[in-house]
Amino acid sequence: MTASNKEEMKLNKRVLGVIDATTYHEGLKELMIHRSLAAIPFAGRYRLIDFVLSNMVNANIESVAIFPKFQYRSLMDHLGSGKDWDLNRKRDGLFFFPSSIIEGIRRGIGSFSHFAANIDYFQRSKQEYALITNCYTVSNMDFKPVLDKHIQTGCDITEMYHSGKSMQMYLVKTSFLIDLIQTREKTGYTCMSDVVTDIYHTYRICRYDYHGYAAMIDSIKSYFAASMELLTPEVWNKLFQKDHPILTKVKDEPPTRYLKGASVHHSIIANGCQIEGVVENSIIARAVKIGRGAVVKNSIIMQKSQIGDHCVVDSVIIDKDVRIETGTVMTGSNTSPYVIRKGTGQGALMNI
Amino acid sequence: MLLAGGKGSRLHSLTKNLAKPAVPFGGKYRIIDFTLSNCTNSGIDTVGVLTQYQPLVLNSYIGIGSAWDLDRRNGGVTVLPPYSESSEVKWYNGTASAIYQNLNFIMQYDPEYVLVLSGDHIYKMDYERMLEYHIKKDADVSISVIEVPWEEANRFGIMDTNEEMEIVNFAEKPDSPQNNLASMGIYIFNWTVLKEYLEKDNENSTSSHDFGKDVIPMLLKENRRLVAYPFKGYWKDVGTVQSLWEANMDLLDETCELNLFDYDWRIYSVNPNQPPQYISPNAKIEESLINEGCIIEGDIERSVLFQGVSVGKGSYIRETVVMPNAHIGQNVFIENAIIPTNMVIPDGIAVRKSDEIILLTDEMLEEIMQIKRIV
Repeated sequence: MTASNKEEMKLNKRVLGVIDATTYHEGLKELMIHRSLAAIPFAGRYRLIDFVLSNMVNANIESVAIFPKFQYRSLMDHLGSGKDWDLNRKRDGLFFFPSSIIEGIRRGIGSFSHFAANIDYFQRSKQEYALITNCYTVSNMDFKPVLDKHIQTGCDITEMYHSGKSMQMYLVKTSFLIDLIQTREKTGYTCMSDVVTDIYHTYRICRYDYHGYAAMIDSIKSYFAASMELLTPEVWNKLFQKDHPILTKVKDEPPTRYLKGASVHHSIIANGCQIEGVVENSIIARAVKIGRGAVVKNSIIMQKSQIGDHCVVDSVIIDKDVRIETGTVMTGSNTSPYVIRKGTGQGALMNI
Repeated sequence: MLLAGGKGSRLHSLTKNLAKPAVPFGGKYRIIDFTLSNCTNSGIDTVGVLTQYQPLVLNSYIGIGSAWDLDRRNGGVTVLPPYSESSEVKWYNGTASAIYQNLNFIMQYDPEYVLVLSGDHIYKMDYERMLEYHIKKDADVSISVIEVPWEEANRFGIMDTNEEMEIVNFAEKPDSPQNNLASMGIYIFNWTVLKEYLEKDNENSTSSHDFGKDVIPMLLKENRRLVAYPFKGYWKDVGTVQSLWEANMDLLDETCELNLFDYDWRIYSVNPNQPPQYISPNAKIEESLINEGCIIEGDIERSVLFQGVSVGKGSYIRETVVMPNAHIGQNVFIENAIIPTNMVIPDGIAVRKSDEIILLTDEMLEEIMQIKRIV
């Protein structure tokens, strides 16, 4: 290892990753009945949190704290010990701090009271900087230049922007964050965005503009649009890069099987599927079955759902473990896709 | 005890840098995944894997066994390479010598029974059932057998049995087979019997130290109780390019007994963690198995594609096995072939069906390119 390499490694060991997974987007409630926002399936085999978490791991961040609140069973199940992200470490690694207090309403990412309940984590950590992010940004983002700029400018807070909008991601010194947490009652700041939007604040706040691909998922509409965007090779290639992989919990699914009668075009298909029908412009997650003569278009089908023979499904989001009975026809529209909730059944008599 | 030192020389360039059990199979797996998954699904949590030939890929693949849930506090998977003893390195000279040299490993666990397996075969089997049979039959040794076509019987170790399924005769690759019950290379030994006979075999300087050729005949000669355990189901030795290709094609057959989609008997493997497969608007796929990380822009028919394979526009791939991370250019035509790992196929290449399955090599590609240049 060269000296500069070593220096870089050390540099990256200086950042704590903090993921706020407490966000509840009203517009996504149909996908959030059994899971938190962070655990919403995306791109056939991922969950939303995988993107920001992988970006942190790819930037050599070795200590990541996740602060969840609502319905975090599926999130915990997904993350496990952090092994799939190489975060099952003896020193540092993955930390999970569910909310233990009933919080009031707040406006943004990085609840100081939630952090305060786990202040030990921040005090014990040796990392000089803390990167605070949301859990719902789909992006393959390099955090290293953000850190470089933050150090170079000597700002108190670096806030990340994309297309002129705040990404609700902040880089600060860990000691500064601890100060913000400890003085929250005096200052009245409840979270990071309170600080940066307060016109009377006395800090140096810098802006980092991220020019790569990023999609913030906050409604069914943006979820559907970001999913369909995956089908354009430019977006796909920006998100999935060999040397910056998006990691996720691996499953032991066999390869996908295309049977007689399958006809698949312009789609993204995860492993373990068995396809006998027509699939176009769709995202098909792991272990989905598509029956003989079925037609699936412009749709998102999540894990282990089964589409019966001769069904027609167009512009529909089908959540996990859904059974669509033989011959069912369902169509939504591009602007408002129809959402079938997790674990439900749909029969021919329930046509819409 | 899983014998995984096989060279697999009839697989030619596929086994140049890796042992046969590490050869990719079925769009996602390596051959050894089937035996390791059978172990974990049968409730066996202590496995010794004996490696010798080109062990690098195999060793790093097996790791600490977590892919098969074999990273256990007690037992788990242990890779057992040959080692040196005082003055000399003792290579494993045969299947029996490999186990003999690791008697110490077995002794640590003081088992009642030892299951001896080979990492060269594709099959699903519950070893627990075989052990129950072994105990019920009160055998010293049980050997799993399968009926093979008569014309192929001379390629196997063939058993003669009586009505009680006791083995009365055993012939290794006989010229004129009297029976068609072939040994699958799966043995359950009573530990004390195994130890005794391996020690005896080691002392015999004329022995080739092979289970089929030496140890089993010696047990028979000394009238130990050997019984055959009849296995029914899919079992294939993928020792040749032809049989490896055939076994891959078997997976595309809807009536094939080897079901990879059986959730109660999962075949585990090290997952590559690649994005889902992308099927372009121009692609066409029929009756195929395709793994994650593939980017398909051409026509695929009755083929098996491993992870990270790309197929360019206008290309047509038929009845072909494409191993991990191979890149197929545009307007390529390939049928009845095996394309090895990482191979890059330039645009416009054609490989047509011939009498036998073609295992593509870099030399072959070079030749085709040269002919193309001349034409």
